[in-house]
Amino acid sequence: MDRGFFSNVELRTPGGRLYYTIAVIALLVVAALSLFPFFFAFTSGLKDSTEIFAGGLNLFPALPRWENYGRAWTLFEMPRLFGNSFVIVGVGVVLRLLVSSAAAFSLSKLKPFGGRVISLGFMLTLLIPSIAYFVPLYTTIAKLPIVNISLLNSYWGLWLPYCVDAFSIFVLKTFFDRIPSDLIDSARVDGANALHMLMYIVIPLSRSILVVLAVLAFVGLWKDFLLPYLVLTDPYTQPITVRLFYIADDYSVNLQMAASFMALLPPLVIAILLQRYMKIGLTLGGVKG
Amino acid sequence: MNAPYALDTEQATTAKKHRQPIKLSSLRAALPRQLTAYLFLLPALLLFALFAWLPILSSIQMSFQNVQLGGTPTWAGLDNFELMLRDPVFGTAWKNSLEFASWSLLLGYFVPVVIAILVREMRHGKAFFRIVYFLPTVVPAAVSVIIWRFIYDPDGGVLNELLAQFGIARQLWLQDVALAKPALVVVMTWAGFGTTALIYLASLQDVSQELFEAAELDGATPFQRIIHISLPHLYPVMSLMFVLQVIAVVQVFTEPFLLTNGGPGRETLTPAMNIYNRAFIRMDMGYASAWSVSMILVLLVFSLIYRYVNSKLMANTD
Repeated sequence: MDRGFFSNVELRTPGGRLYYTIAVIALLVVAALSLFPFFFAFTSGLKDSTEIFAGGLNLFPALPRWENYGRAWTLFEMPRLFGNSFVIVGVGVVLRLLVSSAAAFSLSKLKPFGGRVISLGFMLTLLIPSIAYFVPLYTTIAKLPIVNISLLNSYWGLWLPYCVDAFSIFVLKTFFDRIPSDLIDSARVDGANALHMLMYIVIPLSRSILVVLAVLAFVGLWKDFLLPYLVLTDPYTQPITVRLFYIADDYSVNLQMAASFMALLPPLVIAILLQRYMKIGLTLGGVKG
Repeated sequence: MNAPYALDTEQATTAKKHRQPIKLSSLRAALPRQLTAYLFLLPALLLFALFAWLPILSSIQMSFQNVQLGGTPTWAGLDNFELMLRDPVFGTAWKNSLEFASWSLLLGYFVPVVIAILVREMRHGKAFFRIVYFLPTVVPAAVSVIIWRFIYDPDGGVLNELLAQFGIARQLWLQDVALAKPALVVVMTWAGFGTTALIYLASLQDVSQELFEAAELDGATPFQRIIHISLPHLYPVMSLMFVLQVIAVVQVFTEPFLLTNGGPGRETLTPAMNIYNRAFIRMDMGYASAWSVSMILVLLVFSLIYRYVNSKLMANTD
């Protein structure tokens, strides 16, 4: 039987009912506040450009102008912006997981000399705020040392820094540590090399945690602003978050709202469809500290 | 206890105690395995070196140098730090940071705790509340500021229209010296409270139901059960969330950068924004790095104080 600090019997008493009603109302009010900006952007996007500045609390437009969404879609060149974002974030997520899985597999199962020192080095990046070394990070991207290549205005200037994620490495290492060494050893006896072990034993057994990390990475990278803002100066390559902010002021507010609402949809849909994985990911984040 | 396992661990510990010095022959045998191990680590090592470790070191190095974009760096000793401490912006930015942190704790610290306790008690619709509170978290700040800018709009903005219904005068939310900070903190709280509430909720699910039953039998009122069972269970997570919230607020950049650009005046200028301004607008990388180092130091000192206080508290409860 599920119970909290109230037992189910107590909840049926008048006092319990009163408490429960108040709690539900309070939670619904918070839910309304939480959803209000989404709702507001959606309905403001349906108004015409004078109606939107009319006084009073006219949350619902008298005559919804659905064509605003079509106009915003073409004026803001949404297909290209969405495309850019999906390429940047999609490849970023895949590369991050590849690099992190390989590193975590090595630390967990291949026992490299100095593994503990390397782990400490990874850990260090979690303790130092990234904004504190953002300036030299930018100069590195602008001119890679030794090879002297500039990654400005190239997606590699985002993909490569996006691979640096100690959190994924540690979560994966903890997960890989739980895979019995016997399994790895027997594969080794059967003549499997390290790559086979990673691809056919470790990764298939860790599919669930990889999905969790992929969802977290997707949402996180989709939100990123400062790095793409500085690295990509060519409007044709910018992701939706950067470009939308640049050009928003060029159009009327109702179109801004329509475009913003559409821009919110991909992370919202992912969060709703994959909420089971996001929930696990959050508790991972809380434990990380 | 399981005897064979106990024997195993005993052997393992004695083996560790008398560790043999590494022999050349065993090293040669281990070499191929070490090579593979490092091959798998190589991409991560290279990328961490390029995009994290070297930038961290060079940030510290540049803080002692005179670096203009394009020019060759020259040694500047402590000049950057001296300049920073004499800069009136230094006091302003950190004071703003402190005020942001206070506002965010005031508006947002207890809200997730209360929400988690209330949601835990729901018999229906838990999943609904979980997802609804979580949705703002996934929204990119660069998009949400476009919406919030219009909510706060002095003419026609929905917030002023709502207040007008109650006869409250229009406010310049983002331009008013007294209102700009709390207005920004509301946006940040909206974007972040759901995550924290879900972490508390996950922690509350671990409280054993027998505990509540026992308390009920002993005559504890529901309110006493919250105070003596639910809340103490949350204390460790709450203390962690306190630190994480302060650290996040000290680093805040995107919201003030896009919503107020530090204004009105310098009311919402944060240290992170000043690093950006100095480095990318005035192109003075050395001076910006001195600020970066000061930020690392402040957060380090804060974490150390927290750990010290926390260990004292832990020692007292034991």
